[in-house]
Parts: sequence; structure tokens; C-alpha cells
Amino acid sequence: MAELHLIGQIVGASGFPSSRLFCKWGIHTGGAWKLLSGLREGQTQVDHPQLGDVAYWSHPIDVHFATKGLQGWPKLHVQVWHQDPFGRRELYGYGFCHVPCSPGWHALACVTWQPLGSWQERLSQLFVGGGPQLLNSDLIYTGADRYRLQTSAAGTVHLELGVLLRHFARYGVEC
Amino acid sequence: MAAAAAPTVFLLMVNGQIESAQFPAFDDLYCKYCFVYGHDWAPTTGLEEGISQITSKNRDAQQALVWNFPIDITFKSTNPSGWPQIVVSVYGPDLFGNDVVRGYGAVHVPFTPGSHRRTIPMFVPESTSKLQKITSWLMGRHPEFTDPKVVAQGEGREVITVRSQGFVTISFNVVTKDMKKLGYDVSPSDMQNPSVVSLTDGIHNH
Repeated sequence: MAELHLIGQIVGASGFPSSRLFCKWGIHTGGAWKLLSGLREGQTQVDHPQLGDVAYWSHPIDVHFATKGLQGWPKLHVQVWHQDPFGRRELYGYGFCHVPCSPGWHALACVTWQPLGSWQERLSQLFVGGGPQLLNSDLIYTGADRYRLQTSAAGTVHLELGVLLRHFARYGVEC
Repeated sequence: MAAAAAPTVFLLMVNGQIESAQFPAFDDLYCKYCFVYGHDWAPTTGLEEGISQITSKNRDAQQALVWNFPIDITFKSTNPSGWPQIVVSVYGPDLFGNDVVRGYGAVHVPFTPGSHRRTIPMFVPESTSKLQKITSWLMGRHPEFTDPKVVAQGEGREVITVRSQGFVTISFNVVTKDMKKLGYDVSPSDMQNPSVVSLTDGIHNH
């Protein structure tokens, strides 16, 4: 079986309305992939940056997968949340990106989006915060049923991922 | 030399330095580093921890804090899971002269052979209540982690709030041995980036 190691960090996020942010992340794979070690989901700490407006998490990711096939290549999905000084949490963006296919170190910028509600919901969101969230978080990384959704652009999540592949050449896979 | 059996262990040699830091609000800082690694890893030679000198900012506009502190360690392992991370903690005096922590940061040691430079953000834990912030400022006892190695883990981070307030720049030179023999690919096969060519590439045939 071929193996993939994902060793890196969720560095931080920028471009959001406020920088007191944290991130919930997860890795989704197809049926042929098996997790051998590491955590495949987690939540970062809440950062309150003093310099500039980029929130830094430096959240380590160290996952080891074994696979029998190329389908269902791992996808890393993120949800960026804001925590205000009172401890309330609201959603700021959803995003996903595929784990890079070539071995080596990659710096990725994952774009995110936020669901938009009706104009009444947007007006109340302006005053009290909150806002629509996805009921089913699968929609973050699948394309089915997206046509029903209206969203607006949100900021960017910065990742540094190192990909280590093993035995892919033995099966004739070029990457 | 002829190897009778296929290797089961690979080596990772890292040397480099903790170059400098940027902390606009603080001065007179020193740093400590340590390595955090998984169960399958063991250091063979070199120092796992160190404390640097105390450095101050120069008068010029750059305001960099330079340590130029050497790192030199070799690991052996059977499994890339638990790849070593370097955890850096920076300390300095507060207004009353107490030694307080000014930042923690961690980064994985790069795994492609060659020279690398990483600038990592440094953060401190923050109390969530304003009263506790005032008393900790007065008493000189700011929140800190009981063990800096916590910074290298992903679990349990959802309950803490931190403040990022500086950066540290580290440069690494990495050499690996026998990773290719064990079947690991650390760089793409078309070798677009010549600066990360593995040292063993000229010797082994695919």
C-alpha cells in the first residue's frame, strides 16, 4: 500500500473583518484511504494579534494515511470563526483545499466564503452578529447542491503543508 | 560499502541557527529552544535544548533582536510520523524586572534536504478576564504554559486564547540519509527546484 504523510501547519488567516479568530479544520478522504496515525480534525486556539491584522495559529498537522487507490485524494477543509471579547462565537468563513499531490513543502492560500441570508438576516447580522451557517458541513468540500447557496467572499487561510509520499513510484504513479 | 539488508532506519541531520526576532514592544530578550518529536524518533547526537544570550535592540531603525544561536542535532527514526518540531520560547523582563514569557512558537523541521528559512509567529496565552489581566500585570505573574512542548501539539488548543506579538526567524540546513532507500519521496520527481535536490540523487539510480 502506498502511504502519504502530511506534516505542516495551519499558519493563520487574513482578510477577515476582525482578527480575533480560530479555525476548526478537518481532513476528508475517500474510501480507499485509511488513517494510520495523527488527528484528522481539530480546532486551533483563539488568536488576538497585537501586530497587524493577521491571526496566527501555528497549528501543527501530522497525519499518516495509507491508500489503495488515487480516488478521494485528501481534502483539508476549514471553518474560520470569530470570538469576541464576550466569548460569543460567530462564523466568518468556510473553505477547503486539496492536499498537494507532489511531495515537498507547499505554501497554500485557501480562499473562504460565507453564506449570505436574506436582506432581513443581513440587517440583523449587522446589529447583533450571527448569520446563517451550513446545516451539513459536507457542503464545504463537495459540489453537490451548491447551486442552492448564495455566498459572499471572506478572507484567506494560510497553510504550510509538507507532503511525503512512500511507494507511489512502485505502483507506477508519477507525482 | 555494501549493505547486507535493506535499511529500516533513516537519519535526519539538522543544523542551523535561531537568527533573530522582531518584537516591536519588547527589548532585552533571550530565547530557549527544545525539540518535540514522536515515539518513533530518537536523537542520536547533538543538543536537544538550549538557552541563548540576552540581546537588545540596536539604535537603528530596523529594531531587530539578533541571537545567531546555533542548532545542531541528528535524529534517527523508522517512521516520519511525529516529525521533529523545534519549539522556541522567548523571555524578557517586564516593567518591574520579573522574567516573563514574551512568546512561544513552533515549526516542523523541514524535510527536503537543503537550506530553508522560516519566520514563525510567537504568541503568549492571554487571560480572558480583564481583572486577571490587571493583577497579572501588577504581580508580574503572566499566564504561561507549564510545559512549552504543549505548543507543538494540536490537541487541547481549543480552550486557550493567545496573543501573537512577534516573530522569530530560524534558518535550517537539512540532510537526510536512507529516506529514498525506504521508499520516501520528499521532492517532486521532475526536480523543478534545483535548490532542494536530494544529496543522494547523483548516486542512486531509480
